Amino acid sequence: MLCEECREKSAVVFLKLAVNNKVTELHLCPACAAKKGMGFGLETGAFNISDIVGNMSGYFKDFLPVEKKTLRCGACGLKYSEFKETGRLGCPDCYAGFEEQLTELMTRIHGASRHSGRVYRGGPAPKLSKAETARRLEELRAALKDAVAKEDFEAAARLRDEMKRSDG
Amino acid sequence: MADLSKSFRPFVTWAGARGAWPDMIFSTRVRFARNLRGFPFPNRAGPRQLAEIRRLALAAARETGLFPGGHYVKMETLGPLERRFLVERHLVSHALAAALLPAGAAISGEEDLSAMINEEDHLRLQCLSSGFAIEEAFKAALKLDEALGRELPFAYGDKFGFLTACPTNAGTGMRVSCLAHLPALSRLGRMPQVLESLSHLGVTARGIYGEGTYVLGDFYQISNATCLGRGEEDFCGSIDRVIRNLIRQEISARETLVGDPFRLKTEDAVFRALGLLRHARTLSYEEFMQNLSLVRMGAALGWAMGADFSTFNQVTLLLQPAHIQAAAGRELDPAGRDAYRADYLRGKLG
Repeated sequence: MLCEECREKSAVVFLKLAVNNKVTELHLCPACAAKKGMGFGLETGAFNISDIVGNMSGYFKDFLPVEKKTLRCGACGLKYSEFKETGRLGCPDCYAGFEEQLTELMTRIHGASRHSGRVYRGGPAPKLSKAETARRLEELRAALKDAVAKEDFEAAARLRDEMKRSDG
Repeated sequence: MADLSKSFRPFVTWAGARGAWPDMIFSTRVRFARNLRGFPFPNRAGPRQLAEIRRLALAAARETGLFPGGHYVKMETLGPLERRFLVERHLVSHALAAALLPAGAAISGEEDLSAMINEEDHLRLQCLSSGFAIEEAFKAALKLDEALGRELPFAYGDKFGFLTACPTNAGTGMRVSCLAHLPALSRLGRMPQVLESLSHLGVTARGIYGEGTYVLGDFYQISNATCLGRGEEDFCGSIDRVIRNLIRQEISARETLVGDPFRLKTEDAVFRALGLLRHARTLSYEEFMQNLSLVRMGAALGWAMGADFSTFNQVTLLLQPAHIQAAAGRELDPAGRDAYRADYLRGKLG
């Protein structure tokens, strides 16, 4: 049997994979198997097959609603188009930034768009290192400058309050 | 050779074949995906932020007091074999073991509780229990989740619940899975239909090491495919029902295999497998698992296989490549491992 990847050498690596609740078989030559990073993993099955069978991103591409290109998360700056590409959000605030789109996606993935499990009451503010506190202040300062330049005084006031809080 | 492995116990408690149906359910796992408010998810965080998250998470884990005799691991301080050792032990994922940026894990001495830090999410909390033990694993994982949630601010919103890097994990952030050994269904060629029917029940089947791994020794990880929109206990209940149903199907398949006209063929296959495991002089892990699958089934049918399920489960873990090298105390090439594995097993199978 020929290797399914290069179709040149004969396949000696036979893999049975459980993907999307179907058992599929894959036949590869040693060189192609090694290329897929299965050198060691072959012995135990502990390797990632996302590059063989296509990862989640394809899934999201099909299901996510089309959006204008400019949509991005206000907190971490992740573009909605990047999320569509990778299937990964950038930060917890992305959920608010892309709420409308995610509501639709959640319904497709989970069959529901509202959490009804345990309610979390919130934990304490962590004791951040000086470096992290400084980094966050710097971020806020830049955002404040930006808001003032755009004459978005509401945002500026909010950012100023936030800076006061994190400085204290 | 890795020093890390020496600090782990030779007997893996969660693979002790306790609990209900140890012949069919190797172990039960419940995990929660959690993130810290105020930080980007690991895929968008810089090295310093990842280090900060790990510092906070490790400190919080110690604070909970739930990791007695614990291991607090920084991935970049480990060599490749030590990382593989943790993967084989089901304590960290393949993705975490491959991490190049600050990542880590907190692992209890008994290895039943662990927290992966900076994998896809800031925290992946897991409880492993022996056998079919959904309630036990759920309660222990929840205790860890609640204790850490009191130490750290988790990212949570009323609408989408616990917020995760991938929307497939948001909501409860929970995955309940049972590692099921289904040799008779596999042998009768019924697994394709079984897996097909599972997909209609919101249940996913994966290989032995979880996501993206292949089926080895007829072991399937059965878990909930969705985790938002219903309560945690509700998801646990669904998996519980599915597993009970699978167990019934496997029992019926086993009855078929020991009835006419299959009995002689089944006995022959099982005892040949036992002979191979007892007498082979070299043994790859894959060949070992294929044959162990039959021997496990033989033992479940009440045939004398020279060892109990606890032994079968332990060797399933201890004969993996990094474990073999840890036991040998040196690095071995594949041929060396295969020889060492065969020797080691002969000592265990009487």
